[in-house]
Amino acid sequence: MSRGNVQFREDECKGCAFCIEACPPKVLRQAERLNHYGFHPAEYMGEGCTGCGICFYCCPEPGALTVFVADGAAATAGGPKSKV
Amino acid sequence: MSERRLQLTKGNDAATKGALLAGCQSFFGYPITPASEIAESAAAYFPLLGRTFIQAESEVAAINMVYGAASAGQRSMSASSGPGISLMQEGISYLAGSELPCVIVDIMRAGPGLGNIAPEQSDYHQVVWGGGHGSYHTLVLAPASPQEMCDLTMLAFDLADRYQNPAVVLTDGFVGQMMEPVSFPPAIAPPAPPAWSVTGTKETRANLICSIFLDAEDQERHLLHLQEKYRRAEMTEQRAESYLTEGAEVLLVGYGIVSRVLRSVVDQAREMGIAAGLLRPISLWPFPVHALREAARLTRRVVVVELSDGQMVNDVRLALDGSCSIELYSRMGGVVPAADELLSLLEVAQ
Repeated sequence: MSRGNVQFREDECKGCAFCIEACPPKVLRQAERLNHYGFHPAEYMGEGCTGCGICFYCCPEPGALTVFVADGAAATAGGPKSKV
Repeated sequence: MSERRLQLTKGNDAATKGALLAGCQSFFGYPITPASEIAESAAAYFPLLGRTFIQAESEVAAINMVYGAASAGQRSMSASSGPGISLMQEGISYLAGSELPCVIVDIMRAGPGLGNIAPEQSDYHQVVWGGGHGSYHTLVLAPASPQEMCDLTMLAFDLADRYQNPAVVLTDGFVGQMMEPVSFPPAIAPPAPPAWSVTGTKETRANLICSIFLDAEDQERHLLHLQEKYRRAEMTEQRAESYLTEGAEVLLVGYGIVSRVLRSVVDQAREMGIAAGLLRPISLWPFPVHALREAARLTRRVVVVELSDGQMVNDVRLALDGSCSIELYSRMGGVVPAADELLSLLEVAQ
């Protein structure tokens, strides 16, 4: 069970790959598909996210991604809490 | 981890970096929008690696400097846009006639004449069908992304050496200007000058680089030799990407930025139940006739989309030879259609 989770708003992503490069556990990748604007958006591979938030801080687009992280209380209450 | 980094790079800069990684030793050029970053990054990087950069006084001078460097056995290149490539045509003819390798990058803008700096694909005729005089061809590769600007520039150097012939990297201003993550391969060192080159040494004293054969039958023999090279290239150097072409009822054909838009069109069409596919030529000369014929096998309708008055469409017609209906959708002047506009072409005919 990953400590964190990353959700992308696909059409806000301009495919710069800063988050992919910066992610320490390397759990992000570029999608093969094109988004509405013709970019290859970044996507989370599904597991291994530590919730560190480095991707959020290096993303140049406001609102393109949100990082969720579990702390003790949130985990028992049923899910990671937002870190935006 | 040995995984290569992704670096956000402009298409034009990716071409320069690809050239350096392929061991290119000299860049002779002149700025022109939308290709100027190639010369600009070459000016910054070539001297750092001990390679040569010269801003020539014109594109005519630049291509002749390439001729000289290529004669000395160097991997050499230039880059320009339509008006500059027009100026280089005589030089390109000489390079082909003299069997010299080189790479020329053409980042197309609107024409004819001064036109404007927005993207077009209207140099297809002059580059693929030989804007210079005489019976020759240049090998032509068409990137559709910054990654391909790197990879296909590197491939162009290999093809140029393999066939001892100029190779052109041809794309539109959109691909030259767009920025995307690029994974750069490891560098190779500049190769040693080939045995035929003229390097000012005793060993190469007897070598002659020229395109003149005064005796007509000698010239014909020379031309038959060039033709033999071109036939070999036609058999082995066709390249294309097929996207969802299996069983496609309508086949879209496009290169450069158009192919990016068409990819989205195919995805949206498929969601609407239209069996559309995309054939993206990657080599424009030799034209990928095998892949095109295979992709069009079951299709009723081929739509060629180009940012020109219809230039590649003629190669599509030649390749398919009347086997299905071929339409042209053409935008010009720097207008680049978005996916919605092209999707409506497919909806209309259903």
